Amino acid sequence: MSLREEVLTRVKALLKDRRVDGVLGLSLFEKEPVPCLFEDPFDVDALVIEPKWLLAKLAMNILKTAPQEYRLGLVCRGCDDRAVTELAKRNQLDRNRLTLLGIPCTAEQARKCLCSTPYPREIVAGERVEGMYPMNDEQAQLFLTGSMEERMKRWARELNRCIKCYGCRNVCPICVCIPCKLEDDLWVKRGHIPADMVSYHLIRAFHLSDTCVSCAGCTDTCPVNIPLMLLQVSMRETLKSQYAYEPGLDPERVSPVLTEQEKGEGTLFQEPAWIDSLRGGS
Amino acid sequence: MTDRTEDSGNIQVVLEGAGRKIVVFACTWCALIGADGAGKKRISLPATFRVIPVECISRVEADAVIRAFTSGIDGVAVMGCHLGGCRHNGANLRSARKLELLKPLLDTVGIDSRRLFTSYGTAHEYHQFAQAIESFCSQIGEMPPVSAWSRSFVRAMSARGENE
Amino acid sequence: MNLNFIKTICPYCGTGCGIILQVKGGRAVTTLADRSHPVSRGGLCIKGWTAHEFIHHPDRLTKPLLKKNGKFKELSWDEAIGLAADRLKETVKAHGPDAVASLSSARCTNEENYLFQKLIRAGLGTNNVDHCARLCHGPTAAAMAYALGSGAMTNSIADFSGAECILIIGSNAAETHPIIMGEIYKARDNGAVLVVVDPRRTEVANNADMHLQINSGTDIPLIDAMMKLILDASLENREFIASRTDGFTEMKEYLSQRTLEELSRECGIPLEDIRKVAELYARAREASIVFCMGITQHACGTSNVYAICNLALLCGHVGKPHSGICPLRGQNNVQGACDVGALPNVYPGYQAVADEKNHAKFAQAWGRDLSRKPGLTVTEIFAAAGTTVRTLYTMGENPLLSDPNQGHLMEMIPKLDFFIAQDLFMTETARYADLVLPAACYAEKTGTFTNTERRIQLLRKAVDPPGEAKDDFSILCLLLKAFGLKGDYADPSEVMDEIAALTPIMAGVHFDRLGTHGLQWPVPSDDHPGTRYLHKDTFTRGKGLFVVPKYTPPKEMPDENYPFVLNTGRMFSHYHTGTMTRRSPFLDREVDKPFVEIHPADAARLGIVEGGGVTVTTRRGSIETFARITTRVMEGSLFAPFHFSEAPANALTIEELDPDSKMPELKVCAARLEKG
Ligand code: SF4
Ligand code: SF4
Ligand code: SF4
Repeated sequence: MSLREEVLTRVKALLKDRRVDGVLGLSLFEKEPVPCLFEDPFDVDALVIEPKWLLAKLAMNILKTAPQEYRLGLVCRGCDDRAVTELAKRNQLDRNRLTLLGIPCTAEQARKCLCSTPYPREIVAGERVEGMYPMNDEQAQLFLTGSMEERMKRWARELNRCIKCYGCRNVCPICVCIPCKLEDDLWVKRGHIPADMVSYHLIRAFHLSDTCVSCAGCTDTCPVNIPLMLLQVSMRETLKSQYAYEPGLDPERVSPVLTEQEKGEGTLFQEPAWIDSLRGGS
Repeated sequence: MTDRTEDSGNIQVVLEGAGRKIVVFACTWCALIGADGAGKKRISLPATFRVIPVECISRVEADAVIRAFTSGIDGVAVMGCHLGGCRHNGANLRSARKLELLKPLLDTVGIDSRRLFTSYGTAHEYHQFAQAIESFCSQIGEMPPVSAWSRSFVRAMSARGENE
Repeated sequence: MNLNFIKTICPYCGTGCGIILQVKGGRAVTTLADRSHPVSRGGLCIKGWTAHEFIHHPDRLTKPLLKKNGKFKELSWDEAIGLAADRLKETVKAHGPDAVASLSSARCTNEENYLFQKLIRAGLGTNNVDHCARLCHGPTAAAMAYALGSGAMTNSIADFSGAECILIIGSNAAETHPIIMGEIYKARDNGAVLVVVDPRRTEVANNADMHLQINSGTDIPLIDAMMKLILDASLENREFIASRTDGFTEMKEYLSQRTLEELSRECGIPLEDIRKVAELYARAREASIVFCMGITQHACGTSNVYAICNLALLCGHVGKPHSGICPLRGQNNVQGACDVGALPNVYPGYQAVADEKNHAKFAQAWGRDLSRKPGLTVTEIFAAAGTTVRTLYTMGENPLLSDPNQGHLMEMIPKLDFFIAQDLFMTETARYADLVLPAACYAEKTGTFTNTERRIQLLRKAVDPPGEAKDDFSILCLLLKAFGLKGDYADPSEVMDEIAALTPIMAGVHFDRLGTHGLQWPVPSDDHPGTRYLHKDTFTRGKGLFVVPKYTPPKEMPDENYPFVLNTGRMFSHYHTGTMTRRSPFLDREVDKPFVEIHPADAARLGIVEGGGVTVTTRRGSIETFARITTRVMEGSLFAPFHFSEAPANALTIEELDPDSKMPELKVCAARLEKG
């Protein structure tokens, strides 16, 4: 049985047994994929699993607006799985109302997304493939190395093109604050492109520093091809090396920048040398 | 992340000084005392920095630091109490970690992270404060001014492109 | 839970991006980007992302309205249609068919535009049907049709990424066609050189390799100079000129009459820079020219477009992939409205009204005798309103904000005997109407839109129109019936079949072939896959024609009393007259006040501060607006967007017409600036 058929059978069973009220996935409409909330098992034959299409934010919105007792199934990849975890940690969705149907990505997809964990924690079927590290990618390296001046030039060239579509914010599965600072004149001047774009991008990137699940949604949607996800790479590395923390992987662990307690330790965090400019070491 | 914006409004004021512009966010419980002390003793310090008192350095959002850099500030110093010695339930540690996480982001886009100076529990005495500021100011003095540079950031490829 | 995701097309600009409307309980609640759309591929601009916001706005019209003693009163559809038909018939009877004039709409579908012009032509017997294309690419259509045989963008959007040199003239695509700009940036990432010609230092100019900041309205001298330099350096494509063009000798003769120094002085660009650009363009293996309102909205707009065609022909940069002449169409369906005949001089498919054969063909197909006389254009209609034009019918147009010299229009419209306006909102124009018919927006109908690259795309109904509002298709069917014409179309697909049967360029277009990717016309037969680029082996007119342009400097130059050059246009978060965007909270929040861009030196001289109130005055009128101080404009120049009804920039512009296409000169006029 192909991966798609496997998922299809599961979705049908979930709906038939009324274990969920609806399943969010992709369906084929006039030969093209489109998101779909399947509620009737008879409609499920149109289900497809390609292409990669982020659904976690949609799932969150469905749960937020549906009646309390509504239970949802979600066909999800690694990135959506991680996003669900982060959203649940931040009380944006109720994990108990959500059933995940995990599917692994292909090696090609992982390469395209520069994804290090191209599979969810649990998969319905299929094979897990090796991940990919942004630092091993030539294109990505171009944006992440070089002297300060070179970096500035490269990013200026990219960010200068921004047309302020808010697409990067809209598609990001964990960009959910209301109100959003990017809409606030105090932080990002309204009505200009690309003025204030640096604060726009850095504020956006920083707000996701400890939540970014590296889904590549922002890069994919940017109409002027800015490799936005690369802004997150160095912060992700820092979290990993200094706190052994990766967003989206552990539902139990609180982000280290939101707590002074570390898991298990139960004591106050020791003052780390690297954190103080005067002590050096960072 | 928290959503306080009060402290960023002061940035404009600082912009007007000549030369390199440095903002010091000083916690009222420690670094501000050092700063006041330095003032009373009439210690001569580089004239281009301004102190913005904050109740706790957790009031200093990373966003304000970003905004400072993009509005032409050359260096931002954040000076608070010892980590673990915060009057606000360890708020300064969380904040310190956030600022620490901001540094790699600044480096990624070419804003040298040494422009963000963080120091905890080291500026209570006036001479400590003076020393920290002096060394930070001289460090900033060695870097190109951000004003010219931040303008070029926004307009790096302007008008006639790289030929100019 | 009743939740659906409907694939449809963005209602704003001519890029024609794919959007997905999330519909919950009959309301469109969110817009998503369509990842499988061939043009936008999962990206959208700020307007696309908020395309659902105005749909359920409380200001939507929900009932037909009739003005009695200056007040609007509701009436039933039966009464409204009966009244409209009666008044139209009466006018025809009393004053002849040409006393009726009509404006179709670049916002409506192809099917609706087709039915509209059919109603006017067959039902009323006049060719007085036009739409706002006149105000954007009228000159393009006129000039390109004459020189090449087709007025449409020659290549596809996806073609840009393969070009070696892209020349953008008078287009701020980053704000007006952002998704196309993304493709152009892709080309630049692949190594293409991007050159921008614009009097303003626009967003595009900021991201280009070279920016030629020419004097307003001097595109012809610049292009002539480029051609001269190309000839001097023997970089012209001789083989192409010999085998595929006419008129080169005359062209050469014309060019020899002017000196380079003269031309360079006129456009204000140093000769060296012109030479650089000329060589870049001529030497590139594949090169495209992109242009927009900055070229067309001049009194010599048609000649401007000729100049562009000349340059492309000289280098053979047309008729091949990645290489072409690319006018970017403004409105979502301005291309389609032209294609299906919402123009006074042509039937659907650009078949000339004056041609006896075409006349016979359409007269037979529609079963009525038709007028042989080409009709009036938008600007002529308003000039004649209240005199020879007695009754006016507009569908989805807001000429009061979009057309030049607003003051004049406000005087003329009340002189009409009867004015029927069909629209979504009580627009500035609809307020003047006698009868207002509530119509449906893009999300409430089925049909097709044709984007700027000739791609005919399916629009799918997502929600019902509010109240008693009807889609324009249904309204037109009722009117067609009232005039004894066929009005019982089952759905718009049947109309498309009728269009296909009468229109050779769309002969193979049927709804069931359109899917998500649509079809790019010409589609001459049912099995034809559509056309990526035009003029492949021969030009539509046979040979490409060099046409000597007639340069006229802008009519109104700055003087003592009006020392500024005023330029009008669009900005990124609003669209045209703002009827829709200003009712989208997100877009209105981005920019909620009108503004005029002023150079810092001028501002300092006049003591104007950022955000301060200013008054802009021209010989025609005056608006109060707010200052935005920026070096995007040159010293001595002003720029005002025309989206804001509280400070309508078109109260200031001139009506000076391009003699060939009847295009008003919206881009340049002289103005005075005052504080307060
Ligand atoms: S920042 Fe980009 S990569 Fe990270 S979660 Fe958001 S959309 Fe995905
Ligand atoms: S998606 Fe790209 S163009 Fe749009 S706001 Fe983000 S960075 Fe700018
Ligand atoms: S570029 Fe044009 S078609 Fe595309 S989303 Fe923006 S307004 Fe709509």
